Amino acid sequence: MTLDETKAGLDAVEEGPHLSEKSMGSSDGKIADPDGHPSVVALLLRFGDSVSGHRVSAGTQHVVWIDSARNLEVLHWLRDDQDHQYDMISDITAVDYGAGRPIDVVYQLFSTVYKRALRIRCELPLDGLEIDSIVELWSAANWLEREVYDLFGVTFRKHPDLRRILMPHDYEEGHPLRKDFPLRGRFSRAEQTRRALDQSVEHSYIAEEMDLGRDPQQAVPIIGTKDGDG
Amino acid sequence: MSKRTVEFNVGRNPEMGVDGSVVDSPIFPFDMPEPDLGTENMLINIGPQHPATHGVLRLVCELDGETVKRVIPHIGYLHSSFEKLGEYRTWNQIVPLTDRMDYLAPLIYNCVYVMTVEKLMGIEVTERCKVVRVICMEMDRIFSHLLWLGTTAIDVGAFTPFLYAFQERERIYQLHEAFTGARITTSATRVGGMMADLPEGWTNGLQDFLDTFPKTLEEIDRLLTRNQIHIGRSQGIGAISAEDAINSGFTGANLRACGVDYDVRKDQPYYDYETYDFEIPVGQYGDCYDRYLCRMEEMRQSVSLLRQALERLPGGPIDVEDPNISLPSKTDCMSDMESMIHHFKLITEGIPAPEGDCYMPIEGSKGELGMYIVAEEGGTKPVRWRIRPPSLVNLSVLPKLAEEHLVSDLVMINASLDIVLGEIDR
Amino acid sequence: MGLRDVLPGGGTSSVTGGMFGDGGPTFLTSKIDWIINWSRRNSLWPMPFGTACCAIEMMASAASNYDLARFGMERMSFSPRQADVLICAGRVPYKLAPVLRRIWDQMPQPKWCVSMGACASSGGVFDVYSMVQGIDTIIPVDVYVPGCPPRPEGLIYGLMMIQEKIREESLSRHFEHRAEDPSSVARPHANDAQVVGLTGPFGNSTQQEELSNKESGATEEPPEELIP
Repeated sequence: MTLDETKAGLDAVEEGPHLSEKSMGSSDGKIADPDGHPSVVALLLRFGDSVSGHRVSAGTQHVVWIDSARNLEVLHWLRDDQDHQYDMISDITAVDYGAGRPIDVVYQLFSTVYKRALRIRCELPLDGLEIDSIVELWSAANWLEREVYDLFGVTFRKHPDLRRILMPHDYEEGHPLRKDFPLRGRFSRAEQTRRALDQSVEHSYIAEEMDLGRDPQQAVPIIGTKDGDG
Repeated sequence: MSKRTVEFNVGRNPEMGVDGSVVDSPIFPFDMPEPDLGTENMLINIGPQHPATHGVLRLVCELDGETVKRVIPHIGYLHSSFEKLGEYRTWNQIVPLTDRMDYLAPLIYNCVYVMTVEKLMGIEVTERCKVVRVICMEMDRIFSHLLWLGTTAIDVGAFTPFLYAFQERERIYQLHEAFTGARITTSATRVGGMMADLPEGWTNGLQDFLDTFPKTLEEIDRLLTRNQIHIGRSQGIGAISAEDAINSGFTGANLRACGVDYDVRKDQPYYDYETYDFEIPVGQYGDCYDRYLCRMEEMRQSVSLLRQALERLPGGPIDVEDPNISLPSKTDCMSDMESMIHHFKLITEGIPAPEGDCYMPIEGSKGELGMYIVAEEGGTKPVRWRIRPPSLVNLSVLPKLAEEHLVSDLVMINASLDIVLGEIDR
Repeated sequence: MGLRDVLPGGGTSSVTGGMFGDGGPTFLTSKIDWIINWSRRNSLWPMPFGTACCAIEMMASAASNYDLARFGMERMSFSPRQADVLICAGRVPYKLAPVLRRIWDQMPQPKWCVSMGACASSGGVFDVYSMVQGIDTIIPVDVYVPGCPPRPEGLIYGLMMIQEKIREESLSRHFEHRAEDPSSVARPHANDAQVVGLTGPFGNSTQQEELSNKESGATEEPPEELIP
């Protein structure tokens, strides 16, 4: 076996998922039977022009695609309307299908009053990865949106503190969960190791923290690290 | 739904407030104005390598004297990119990743992952498998709560509960090992069943554990519940109201301590949890002490659940009898041509999934644990595998909880949230 | 008149193995070595750098059933300044790498390092963008404990190997054992070629240099269409 063959074999083993020709998972304009779920019926009545798709997944789970420009409005209504009261946001995440397809932002809602779950998805084209933040509705959205921003590069407008959460705040290799991001990162291991260790202590503080407790008269903030002398 | 309130009210002396309502009296009844000394706030860094952060969490605090003015948590120091790695694995190959995510309750993670895949594929597991998984999950709830109990007790200065808790944990380790061969990284589930059936005599081992564990729990209870130091360190610390807790995404014992009886086992039942007889402990004040009481009661309820599950454990096969999902037995594989082909296809290609997405929440040991899977038509690997991490959402409330508390209370609040960094950072 | 002339067996005779022989270990130095090594190896203070699953097994080792204190490791030193053995238990992402290196730099000599578990030793299953592929690219490692995670017995065996290593050390060769280039502080332990060699496919087990170099050569330069 030649080296090239070995390498081709390795690549095949490490091959990630690739899309079949058939379109899937997107809002193809179809509306499945909404009768099973009162909130879907109400959404179609009230926001019919913004609902771009609906399907029933995994037997019982209702998924509604809505216009990404009106996500705040729709979610606000779902949270506050007396007949729905989705007061708990279980999860916010995103899905990248690769192959130039739009990235979906997914909201998992649950109503502790009516014990109902609903999934809302918003499609974002790759050249317009922006959507309104819903932190003002649920404070739980804060870190979840930061995570989506970090891993997918979706910008949340009006988010109070949108910076990377899992990767270092100056990570330069991109957004790891995008399908075009290689599993081992874009830089070589040597470069990654060098970059990781080539940092001063101040580097691990964000600008906001450096300003914390800084008196206008005082030039330098007092920084005590655990490993400080003593 | 049955509702259980916390009965203990040790050390709280209610007084009449201004509007006639009952308020808790402060520990120190002095109300002295603070003299203006011209002090300035201080920035200190805790972690990521610090025993009190329960992992590699890093907290940057702004302090005014000893009072926490603001906390900025930094996470990601254990980011192992499970979700990316999962996209390169077939359905069954992902199972070993799940128990490395939450190493405090590995079997719960094994179970919820395959439950999500099965729901997506429409696979109905056998009755025996359901009960075995309930046993696994309830056992690991105790497993996880015991570690939380031990480490939290250390944080408030009590070392003995740690040793007691680990003694009991060691027995669950042995049960894990007898069942799966590993102490922590169990990888016990497979799509459509379990890795293997319960070994002979395993239920007797579990029964022994259930017979003696409540006694140890009572001993720990006696050490902590009415312990004045523990009460002083936890009552009234890090309290949050029910509305705020729901809005912030609190789940699990943290939410129930605020008085909300939300439990996925009751509200979105799976695996016949509605037919088991158990109660949801609910707190009143939403502080660290109530979280402690809720978890202690949850362990007792888990013992009761385990007893019921052992009683109803049916016989029969543990894997679904579908050659496209479950592996054939080794004997069949070696003697029967068709079984060998199925074996080969399953190992090399994997199980094809239908198109769609599926979100499945269960009640994990730390809160609502959900997995979200997106698959393409006939795909043997997920397009997206997402874990709804309960600890991440619970931890994001820490800055709100810790405000205006002392630094030492910050440690207690952080401990009481029961976080595991492997799952926060994923 | 020096000590050499007074003590019996003194002098520089290498034949008699004098007390202050110029050459190899002599009676006195080897006895001092023995005493120092005996006390050193039975009073190790481990610095638990626990990150993931292995940390739980490390806690189990220290708890009631396995009781690490039997081996003189009664006190887990959470401060690197008072520690002798760094137990790196669990996976180490690049974000944590400077922390690990800093803790190692803060530990005073003499110091040893145990790499506990597959992830710390080689990256384990996490051959991904965020993980250090073996902490030996960051800091020097004395003992690798295999397993995912290793059982407490495994960790205890690894620590006993450290004790064995200490037993073999000699004061006369102190600088040989303990020398560390001061300029290497906060720098990777391995050079670029070693990192690439270690972290390629199968690199950590078989060091397939050729394949590794070919594999990594393609990604040496960041592509231009880098997403900011």
